Amino acid sequence: MTKEEEILQNLSDAVQSFDSDAAIDAAKASVEAKISPVKAIEEGLAKGLRVVGDKFEAGELWLPHLVLGAEALEAAVKVLEGHMAIEDLESTNRGTIVIGTVEGDIHDLGLRIVASMLRANGFRVYDIGCDARTLNFIEKAKEVKADIIAASSLMTTTMPFMKDLVEALETAGIRDQYKVMVGGGPVTEEWAKAIGVDGYGKDAAEAVRVAKELVKK
Amino acid sequence: MAAPSLWEVLDRACNTGPVMATKDFDMKIFSVATRLTKEYDIKYDPKTPVTIDDSLADDAWNAGLQLFTEVGAYCMNSSRVIKFDESEIKQGLKELRGEAIIGEGSERRILKLRKVEDNSPPSIVCGGVIESNFPEGENFVKLYQSIAQEPLIDGFYVGPPLQSSEGRLVRSGTPLETHLGRSMVSWVREAIRRAGRPGLHFISACTSAIANIAAADPNEGLRRSDGIVSTIMPELKTDYENLNKIVYSHDYGCIKHVYNGGMIGGWAGGPEGALIVSIANAIMAVIVYQMSVGASYHALGYLRASTPNYSAFVTRPCLWGSSIGSQALSRNTKIINTAVAMTNAGPGTEMQFQEIVAAICASIPCGREGLSQGARRFKVVPLLGSGLENRFWGEVGHAMSKVKRDFANSLAEEMLQKFEHRITRESDGGPLGHTLDEIYDLKTLQPRKRFLDVYEGVKKELEDLGLEF
Ligand code: B12
Repeated sequence: MTKEEEILQNLSDAVQSFDSDAAIDAAKASVEAKISPVKAIEEGLAKGLRVVGDKFEAGELWLPHLVLGAEALEAAVKVLEGHMAIEDLESTNRGTIVIGTVEGDIHDLGLRIVASMLRANGFRVYDIGCDARTLNFIEKAKEVKADIIAASSLMTTTMPFMKDLVEALETAGIRDQYKVMVGGGPVTEEWAKAIGVDGYGKDAAEAVRVAKELVKK
Repeated sequence: MAAPSLWEVLDRACNTGPVMATKDFDMKIFSVATRLTKEYDIKYDPKTPVTIDDSLADDAWNAGLQLFTEVGAYCMNSSRVIKFDESEIKQGLKELRGEAIIGEGSERRILKLRKVEDNSPPSIVCGGVIESNFPEGENFVKLYQSIAQEPLIDGFYVGPPLQSSEGRLVRSGTPLETHLGRSMVSWVREAIRRAGRPGLHFISACTSAIANIAAADPNEGLRRSDGIVSTIMPELKTDYENLNKIVYSHDYGCIKHVYNGGMIGGWAGGPEGALIVSIANAIMAVIVYQMSVGASYHALGYLRASTPNYSAFVTRPCLWGSSIGSQALSRNTKIINTAVAMTNAGPGTEMQFQEIVAAICASIPCGREGLSQGARRFKVVPLLGSGLENRFWGEVGHAMSKVKRDFANSLAEEMLQKFEHRITRESDGGPLGHTLDEIYDLKTLQPRKRFLDVYEGVKKELEDLGLEF
C-alpha cells in the first residue's frame, strides 16, 4: 500500500468507525502528504460513508451510526476545506438539498434516514427538521441555493402541506428554480403526480436514486 | 418521600431542566443503551419470538430502568432534560395502584394486573381502527357501532382525525381539527348508544391537544370515564402538545392513555436497544405523564433504508421485543399495559388475522393486561376497518389467556412462517384488505358470509394447532 492509499484508507476507516478525532488526524495527514483534498473526500471519507450507508441498508448498522459517520466526515472536511478552492469543494457536492417534515407533523425518523442516506451519497443536505413551515423550506432553499427541496409527511392530514409548498413556489415565481421531491408513509406516486412535484421515493434508497436523476436534469 | 408531582415535573420540563441539543440527547441514548445491552448481555434471538426466560426479562427491566435513570426524558419545545434521581423513580413506580377504572354504568370495567401466564382474562380488549381515513358522518357512526356491538370489546381507540370536517379538508393542528375532535366524539356517543352500550369507554386521539380538550364534556362529549391519548416520542421525548394533553387529563380527571415504545434501528440501536429503551419509555410514561393506562409497543418498526418492513409492528424482531418487554413490565411493575400492534395486512384478510394472533402471543401470555387495536399501518383507502377484526382480537385475546408461553412461542412461529414472506416491498407490506362496506352488510350491520368464512377458517386452523376457544 502506498502512503497515499494508506491515508485514504485511514480516512475511510475513521468514518466507518465513527471516530471524528481519527478522521481529523487522517485529514491533517492527507494535507501534509499533499493529497488532493477532492480525492481525500471522494476516495476516502465519502467512500467510508457509503459503506456505512450500505451496512445500514443491510440491517447491520442503525440510524445513530449514519449520523455519527456523517459527523466524522464533516469534521474531516472542515480540515480539508481550508486547503481547497471553493470550486473544488463544490465539485465534491453532488447537489444541495433542503429537507424537512411538513407543518403539523412531528414524524422525523424517515426524514433522518433519507437525509443520512443522501449525505452518504454525496449530497449536501440541510435538514430543517419536523413541523417545518412551507415558507421555511423556501427561505432555506434560497439561502443555500438548493437544487432540490424534499418534503416528508407521515399523515394523510399533513400531506396537503406539500401541495402548499408547490403553490408557494409558483406564487413566488421560482418554481422552476428547484426540483421538488416528496415521500413518507402515506405518500404515493399518484399523490406526487397530482400535486405536480418532480419526484417521489418510496424509501430512502429510492430517494437517493430519484435525487440523482433530478440533479442530472 | 413522595414521587415528584406533575407540577414539579412540568417545572423541570418548562423552567428548570438543563438545556441540551436534541442531537446530543439522542446520541447519549445511543451510547448508554449500547453499553447497557452489552453489560446485561441482551442478544436478539430470531428463533424465539416468545421467550420463556424470566431472567432475560428481568435483565431487560434493569437495563431499561438504568437507562431512564442515566438519561432522563427530553422536552422538544424547551430543549430541557427532565431528570429524576433514582429514589424519585423508585417512589413513582411504587405509587402505582395497579388498577384503572374505565367506562360507566354497566360498561364500567376494572383493569387489573395480570401476571406472566396468568389465567385471568385480559381486562380490556380495546379495539378500534387507527388510520381509518373514514369519511365523516353516517359511515363513521356505523364503523364504531360495528365495533361496539361486539360483546368482548370493553373500549376502543378513536382516531386519528378524519380527513374532513363539515366537508372541508382537515389538516393536523388547525382549528378545523378542533371542531372535528368534538364532532367525532359526539358521533362515537351515537354509535355506542345505538349498540346499546352508552357507557362504553373510548379514547380520543386527535393530533392537537386542543382538539381533544374541546371534546371534553361530561354529558355529550368525552367523559371522565373516557380517555385522551398522548404519546412518548421515540426515544424518551415529549413536547408541549403532549404535555398539554396530560395536564388537561390530570385536571379534568379522565384516563391518560399513553402510547410508548422503542424503534428498532432508531436512537437506541438494534432490537436489543429498542427493547430496553421501550422499557425506559414506559417508565417515563409513569414518572413524567403519570399515566393511567399504557399501550406499549416495545419494539415497533424496523428502521431500514429500503426493506418493506421498516415500519411494521408484527415482524420477528418486534415480537421478540414485545414478548420480553411485556414480561419485564409485568414482573417488575404495576403498570397497566395494553398491547398495540399495527398490522401489515388490511382487514378481512387471512394475513391480518395471522398477524393479530402473533401479536397476542407476545402479549397476553406474557402478562399484559389488555389489547389495543390493529389496523393496517399505512397507505389505506377510505373505510378500511371494521368490527370483524376487533371481534377477532377479543376472541383470540381471551383464548390466549389460557395458554403458556412455550405454546405461544410455537404458535407465533407458525404464524410468522405463514405471513413473514408476504411482507414485501411491492405490496407495501401486505394485502390492503377490504373496506367496511365490503365486509359488512351496512343495512344489518353484520359481516358478510365470505368474510365470516375467512374468520372461521383461521379459527379452525388455530383450533387444530391446539388453541381452545
Ligand atoms: C413512530 C411513529 C410515531 C412516533 C414518531 C416519532 C418520530 N420522531 O418520528 C410518535 C409516537 C411520536 C407518533 C406520533 C403520532 N402519530 Co405516528 N406513527 C409512527 C409509526 C408507527 C412509524 C413511522 C415511522 O417512523 N416509520 C419508519 C420510517 C423509516 O418510515 P417512513 O417515515 O415512512 O420513511 C421511509 C419512507 O417513507 C421514505 N421517506 C420518508 N420521508 C421521505 C421524504 C422523501 C422526500 C422521500 C423521497 C422519501 C421519504 O423513506 C423512509 C426510509 O425508507 C407510524 C405507523 C407506521 N407503521 O408507519 C405511525 C403513524 C404515522 N402515526 C400516526 C398518528 C395518527 C400519530 C399521532 C397523531 C398519534 C396521536 N394521536 O398522538 C401522533 C402525531 C403527532 C404529530 N403532530 O405529528 C398515523 C398517521 C395516520 C394518518 N392520518 O395518516 C400512523 C400512520 C399510524 C396509524 N396507522 O394510525 N407516531
